[in-house]
Amino acid sequence: MAVAPPLGGGVRIALFLLLGAALLPGASFYVTVAGLGGEPEYEQRFATQAQEIDKLIRAGNPDAKVQTLFGPQATKAQFESVLAAIAKESKPADSLVLMLIGHGSFDGVDYKINLPGPDLSAVELATLLDRIPAGHQLVVNMTSASGGSRAVLEKPNRAVITATKSGSEKNATIFARYWVEALRDPAADTDKNETVSALEAFVYAEQKTAQFYETQKRLATEHPILEDRVASRIALLHIGATQAAAGTPEKKALLARREELEQQIDTLKYEKAATPPEEYKKQLQILLLELAKTQAELDK
Amino acid sequence: MKNSVTGYSFPDFPGRSRLTGRKSGIEYPVTVFLLLCVLPLAAQKLDDCRTLRHHGKLADARSCFAHLAAGPDPYLRAEGLWGLEQYKEANDQFRDALKAHPKSVEIRVRWGRMFLERFNKDEAKGLFEEALEIKENDAAASLGLALAAAESYSSAAVHFATHATELDPKMAEARELLAYLALEDSNPEKAAEEADKALAIDAESLDAMAIHASIDWLNDNKQSPWLDRILKINPVYGEAYSTAGHFFVLNRRYREGITFYRKALNLNPRLWEARAQLGIQLMRLGEEQEARAQLEQAYQAGYKNAETVNSLRLLDSYKNFNTYETSNTILKLQKKEADLLRPYIEAELKRAIATYEKKYQLKLKGPVQLEVYPDHEDFAVRTMGMPGLGALGVTFGSVVAMDSPSGRPPGTFHWASTLWHELSHVFVLQATNHRVPRWFTEGMAVYEETAAAPDWGDRLDPEAIAAIQKKKLLPVAELDRGFIRPSYPAQVVISYFQAGKICSYIAEKWGYGKLLEMIQSYAKLESTPDAIRNNLGLSTEEFDQQFLAWLEAQTRITVEHFAEWKKQLKEMTGDLRAKKYDDVLREGAAIRDFYPDYVEPGSVYELMADAYEAKGDKPSARKELEKYSAVGGRSPLLIKRLATFQEEQGEPKKAAATLDRLNYIYPEDPDLHKRLGDLWLAQNNLPGAIREYQAVLAAKPLDPAGAHFELAGALRKANRLEDARDQVLLALEAAPGYKPAQRLLLEISK
Repeated sequence: MAVAPPLGGGVRIALFLLLGAALLPGASFYVTVAGLGGEPEYEQRFATQAQEIDKLIRAGNPDAKVQTLFGPQATKAQFESVLAAIAKESKPADSLVLMLIGHGSFDGVDYKINLPGPDLSAVELATLLDRIPAGHQLVVNMTSASGGSRAVLEKPNRAVITATKSGSEKNATIFARYWVEALRDPAADTDKNETVSALEAFVYAEQKTAQFYETQKRLATEHPILEDRVASRIALLHIGATQAAAGTPEKKALLARREELEQQIDTLKYEKAATPPEEYKKQLQILLLELAKTQAELDK
Repeated sequence: MKNSVTGYSFPDFPGRSRLTGRKSGIEYPVTVFLLLCVLPLAAQKLDDCRTLRHHGKLADARSCFAHLAAGPDPYLRAEGLWGLEQYKEANDQFRDALKAHPKSVEIRVRWGRMFLERFNKDEAKGLFEEALEIKENDAAASLGLALAAAESYSSAAVHFATHATELDPKMAEARELLAYLALEDSNPEKAAEEADKALAIDAESLDAMAIHASIDWLNDNKQSPWLDRILKINPVYGEAYSTAGHFFVLNRRYREGITFYRKALNLNPRLWEARAQLGIQLMRLGEEQEARAQLEQAYQAGYKNAETVNSLRLLDSYKNFNTYETSNTILKLQKKEADLLRPYIEAELKRAIATYEKKYQLKLKGPVQLEVYPDHEDFAVRTMGMPGLGALGVTFGSVVAMDSPSGRPPGTFHWASTLWHELSHVFVLQATNHRVPRWFTEGMAVYEETAAAPDWGDRLDPEAIAAIQKKKLLPVAELDRGFIRPSYPAQVVISYFQAGKICSYIAEKWGYGKLLEMIQSYAKLESTPDAIRNNLGLSTEEFDQQFLAWLEAQTRITVEHFAEWKKQLKEMTGDLRAKKYDDVLREGAAIRDFYPDYVEPGSVYELMADAYEAKGDKPSARKELEKYSAVGGRSPLLIKRLATFQEEQGEPKKAAATLDRLNYIYPEDPDLHKRLGDLWLAQNNLPGAIREYQAVLAAKPLDPAGAHFELAGALRKANRLEDARDQVLLALEAAPGYKPAQRLLLEISK
């Protein structure tokens, strides 16, 4: 299922329904590749973005296994080697996030990311990814013409985000700039659970990209797409203290109470349209107060 | 052109190159046959038909044209069908006629005239030009080009019309046009002279008489003898009133213009142009219901020119606007941005009204209606068919329409400055009962922009510098011409600049009171020479001489060093790219004050700030940007960068003031409101912080929970606990696990 570009009711509902989804256990692998820039301006921009992602991911996920290729290192051979190593190391419970920055091309049949030396096609990339056992995969292809890679890359348990709707959107993209910003800006964590999920980062970057073209009064030459909501369960990085595991029976009881209250709030929100506004507000306030008190007890 | 959203479409009357090949003389409209059944079969001549129409015998004229339409000659058939308003069929016949007579100049000119009548200026021009290629000295073709140019207030109209009179001194229509153009140029003496010349050629020249009548009416001489003369020749010649309507509208006397269009329609309800104009003027004055009715009537009758179609579409789009009324304002904002813009625009509208009521010593008779369009094409519909730029805002009596800040790229438009400009028109128009020359009301409006705040208004631009250098400024007595019929592309902009400077000069030398006295002079219908003589004691020639000396002294350094400044600025840009920062700073210091008004992208201030920052000297970078901002620089990026420097250097109050300035330029930036809200909250400016956080929410932020929470914090600090509770609940509704919001809720609920 595709997430439509404007953050309308559909996406909000999806976010809401997925709020309860637990973030994934297992090891997390992050690979970022910045391809060939062609011009010094792009070389520098792509490399900087890749390095920034590297820094942010490492800071937010100290245990993650992070590999970043840019500049002359970002060859097809090196890329294949990194993915082959992950294929050996990862397990089904693990997650993999692959982020591609740079120029892409699409000839109507196959997509390729431009790399120093031979390019890598979407078909070749899909083959490499298929060999990786990590059961939760996310590909964020931020290159031009990246929409052309989607059909080849997508499969169950692999979410694909592309900066463009199709392979025919060939202009250099700006989506990567806002993807990086999403990893840096706490505002991207819209559910305030101190973790930025892939879905949250996508929504943030997609909106900022649209705003960019609207503000500059330019015709949008990229329309980011997110396929498959599995992305909401993939944590990109943590931006605050994570909840300590419940150790004592009291804490366990409080956690159970919190979960119960969260479910009640979800139910109430689901019934909002059918509930008189004053009644809704009253009930919401009671539940939120109770939730706040429970959380305060947990945080003691 | 705006895309159709409601089903109003432009006419299907095609261009000649896209015509389908219908056989001549085979298919005729039913009306032609019906008319033929009741007519004697006497041969009719084209001139007979025209004479009947000229004398207002419209039914007889139609019969006459019907006969022509049924005749054997395709050209006369075309004329006949055109006379019957069967434009598509006439078009086919013109095409066939030209096939039969491929070298005919007359057919081309007449076909072009029909295209002109049916809103296709380009096709018309093409035919007139073809005619002139065949016969270089054809007066009728030259007149055709003049008429086409007149539609867009081009100065070429005067050139071609004059040329036509030279080629054919007996062409009354060319004289009529010259009279019309002269009156558009606010030159009634010349208009009357040309009209007299037309009448000397043709004593029954109705349009020449209409010019005379219009001059009388514009001078408040309500009983013009010319009307009786017109009606004796043609008792249903509503065109005379319609002509007057055009001149009243052009002189911003919209209400009277409406009256004349109504009179035109009383005489002849089938004057569709008059009906469409009536609808447009009603729309301009906010009378939307009748405006729609008149426009739809014209549209249904096939009068589908761009003004009519786009006006109807614009009326349809009003359902997407919210209207907010107060005792003295009516504000129409597009729903999507209404919540964000209303607090800023409504407050500024009220502040401007209060200020001007004191300055102009005048209480407005009713509320001011302000319409703000985020889509520039919608706004452009409001100015269609009007001379000049109409680029940012336009005033119709007490109705003002303007672009929204979202309608233009950030930093290219100062909405508050435009608002004050337009509001000045509202006051000057009311104070003079709409009897004010264009140059003066524009000059006052430009003057008021910088009077409101020195960094508002337009800066001295390169085009104005060139005009001063080349002595291209117009004498004050002819300055209106620069607005209505510019003789070179930049002349409108330069005329705004000149008019504004004239008002500044008068205010500086004689005091602001003299400007108010000139307003009174114009209200009494004094001409510009009289207004200047009676109030300033100078002839216009003396005034021009003194004003130019003052202006030249004021701009001397910039004008003298402009070429050097341009050359050095280019070098600075190259040096900055080459990271030669010391060179950039040396060059910048040398040339910055040659042209301090230049604050466009790549200004000396910006380049020097970049160089200072690259060298790690942020305090100096900040100083350059402070100068940039004080002079009127408007780039949101640079202004926000300045605020960052000020914050970093321990000047949060200055940072807040810098960011607040941006609210008057581009308030559609959530980041601006968040930063300003934070600064004001820290400075305990709680109303300011609350307004800014509300703006963040109105801008539909990416992080609604965070935005509600921040607003809740400011409200709590302002002791508005109930409002704070509502906001924190909204934050938690979006993100129930949001711990800071949970803590705030617990605190408020204690």
